[in-house]
Amino acid sequence: MGRIVLNGVRKAFGEVEVIPPLDLTIEDGEFVVFVGPSGCGKSTLLRLIAGLEDVTGGEISIDGRDATELPPAKRGLAMVFQSYALYPHMSVRKNIAFPMRMAGLPEGEQKRRIEAAAKALNLTDYLDRRPGQLSGGQRQRVAIGRAIVREPSAFLFDEPLSNLDAALRVGMRMEIGELHKSLATTMVYVTHDQVEAMTMADKIVVLRAGRIEQVGTPLELYRTPHNLFVAGFIGSPTMNLIGGAEAERHGARTIGVRPEHIASGSPDGAPWVGTVGLSEHLGSDTFLYVHGTGLAETVTVRADGEVPLRHGDRVGLTPNPDRIHRFDAEGSRL
Amino acid sequence: MATQHSRAAARLMISPAVVVLLLWMIVPLALTLYFSTLRYNLLMPGANPFVGLENYRYFFTDPAFTTALVNTLLLVGGVLVITVGGGIALALLLDQEMFGQGIVRLLVIAPFFVMPTVSALVWKNMFMDPVNGLFGYIARAFGAQPFEWLTAAPLFSIILIVSWQWLPFATLILLTAIQSLSSEQLEAAEMDGAGFGSKFLWIILPHLARAITVVILIQTIFLLSIFAEILVTTGGGPGVASTNLTYLVYIQSLLQFDVGLGSAGGVVAIVLANIVAIFLMRMIGKNLDA
Ligand SMILES: Nc1ncnc2c1ncn2[C@@H]1O[C@H](COP(=O)(O)OP(=O)(O)O)[C@@H](O)[C@H]1O
Ligand SMILES: [Mg+2]
Repeated sequence: MGRIVLNGVRKAFGEVEVIPPLDLTIEDGEFVVFVGPSGCGKSTLLRLIAGLEDVTGGEISIDGRDATELPPAKRGLAMVFQSYALYPHMSVRKNIAFPMRMAGLPEGEQKRRIEAAAKALNLTDYLDRRPGQLSGGQRQRVAIGRAIVREPSAFLFDEPLSNLDAALRVGMRMEIGELHKSLATTMVYVTHDQVEAMTMADKIVVLRAGRIEQVGTPLELYRTPHNLFVAGFIGSPTMNLIGGAEAERHGARTIGVRPEHIASGSPDGAPWVGTVGLSEHLGSDTFLYVHGTGLAETVTVRADGEVPLRHGDRVGLTPNPDRIHRFDAEGSRL
Repeated sequence: MATQHSRAAARLMISPAVVVLLLWMIVPLALTLYFSTLRYNLLMPGANPFVGLENYRYFFTDPAFTTALVNTLLLVGGVLVITVGGGIALALLLDQEMFGQGIVRLLVIAPFFVMPTVSALVWKNMFMDPVNGLFGYIARAFGAQPFEWLTAAPLFSIILIVSWQWLPFATLILLTAIQSLSSEQLEAAEMDGAGFGSKFLWIILPHLARAITVVILIQTIFLLSIFAEILVTTGGGPGVASTNLTYLVYIQSLLQFDVGLGSAGGVVAIVLANIVAIFLMRMIGKNLDA
C-alpha cells in the first residue's frame, strides 16, 4: 500500500512550464524527500500527487490504480501543509475528527483513533483547546494527527517545519522520523533544506527548475553527485568547486572537494597553500575559510575541533585524491 | 510606558473632543426628552404645559403603535434575512474566477450609490406598478393578472426595495471576508473529503461568522430608521400596513403638528433600538471578541 508512480507527468501554468515531463517511482513504505531551491516546483509536484492541481500531461498511479483523474479525497493520501491549515474555529479534537466525520466513520471508531493519535503525538492534554491557543510545534502535531487518523496509504508533507524555530525543528524532525518507522507508511516530504533531506530521507529527489537532477539515497548523493548542481546543493558546508589549471590537471573543467576531504597542515610541501581568513570553532569541528590559494575565492576546510590555526596563519591543504569529484564543461560528472 | 502623568495628560488632550461629542449627543437627546413631557402642538399655540407621561400614554395606546412596532421588526428581520443570505450567495459567486470580474463587481456595488428616494421611486414606477411596471408586463405576457405590489403586499414590497439597496453592502463585506480565507484551509478540507456543502457549512460559514455579525449590527442600526422608502412608495399605507415606528413618529409630529407626541415616539424608538442592540450583542456579539 502506498506505491506512487509518476509517468511523464507535466505541469504548465498557462504558457509557463513549471514541471517538464517527469518520471518517478516512490516505493511502498519509503521516506522520499523532494529537495531543491525555492521556486523549483517541489510544492507543485506534491500538489499534483495530492490532486490539488491537475496534471497538464502524463499519468499518476497510486497502488497500481490510475489516479490521474481522481479527486484529492479519493486518492487515499493525507497532506500536512506548511501553514498547518488547521480549522481555527474547531477544537483540536474536532480538527482531528474532521476527516473521519467526512468519511462517516462510526463514533466509537473515531474516538478510538483520536485517542491513539493524541497519545502518539502528546496532544492528550490539548484536545479541547482551539488551534489559536497552541504553540507552533503543537499545531504541527495536530496537523499530523489529522493526517494519521485517516490511515492514508501515503503522507505528503510540504515544508512542515519551516515555520518552527531551529531547536523545535530538530525535535520535530526526529518525531516525524520515528512516526515513519512506527507506521511504515510511504511519506513524501518537501523541503528546501538539504540537512532535513539528508537526515530524514530513504531516498532524495533533487529538483531544479522542475527537472529531476538526481535520485538516490543520501549517501549516494553525497558520494557521487551526478552534476555540479547536486554537488553544490548536498552537503554542509558546501563542496569547494575549483576550475582553471588545477581542474585541468585532473582532466576536468571543474573539480569538487568537500571541506571534510581536505587535510590541513604545515605549508611546507603541501599541494595547496593559503592564508586562514575566518575560522569557526564549533567545538567538535573547526571550519577554516582559506584565502589566497589561487584556486578559488575561498576554500573551506573542515579541520579538527581544537586545531590551533588562527586568522592570518599560513596553512597547507592536501585534498584526499580519492575524494575529488570531476565535472565536464556541461557540469556532468566524469 | 503609560505613566500616571502621561495618562492624565492624555485625558486632558482628548477632553475637548469628548465634551463636543457629549454635547452633540446629549443636547438633542435632552431636548427630545423634555419636549416629550410637554403638551406642545403647533396648531394650538400658547402655553406648553408640562403633562408628564401623557404623550407616552397616547403613543402607546394609539392603535397604530402595535402595528408599527411589528412592522419595524418585520422590516428589519426580513431585510436582514434577504441581504445576509443573498450576500453570502453573491459573495461566493463573485469570488470565482470569471470573465469581466471587475465590471461585474462594480455593477453589484452600484445600487449602494443610488439614493433611497430614487431607488424606491424606480421600483415603484418601473417595476411594481401594475400598469406601467416591468413585473406587471411580465405577468400580462404570461396572461396573468398583474400583482398590485404596493397595495396587496406593501410591507413585503418595501422589504424587497430596501433589501435591494443593502445587498451590495452585505455582499462587499462578505466577499472580503471570503477572500481572506486561506486557500490551504479549503484544500485541507478537500483532502479530508469535504464536498462543497461540507466545506461551506464547516469551513466557510464559521469563517464568515464575524463578518456576518458586523453586517447584521450595522444594517440593524440603519434599518430601524427606514423612512424615505416608505414615504415615496406607500406613504405608510394602505391604512398603517406599512408604517414603521419612524414613520409613525413622522405622522404624529409632522402631519399632526404635535411636537410633544412626536418626541415621545422618538424616545420610544430610541429605547427600542437599544433593546434590539443589546439583544443582538448578547446573541451574536460574542463572535466579535476572541
Ligand atoms: N498557481 C500558480 N500559477 C502560476 N504559477 C505558479 C502557480 N503555483 C506555482 N507557480 C510557479 O511555479 C513555480 C514553482 O512553484 P512551487 O512549486 O511553489 O515551488 P517550490 O515549492 O519549490 O518553492 C514557481 O515559479 C511559481 O511561481
Ligand atoms: Mg513550496
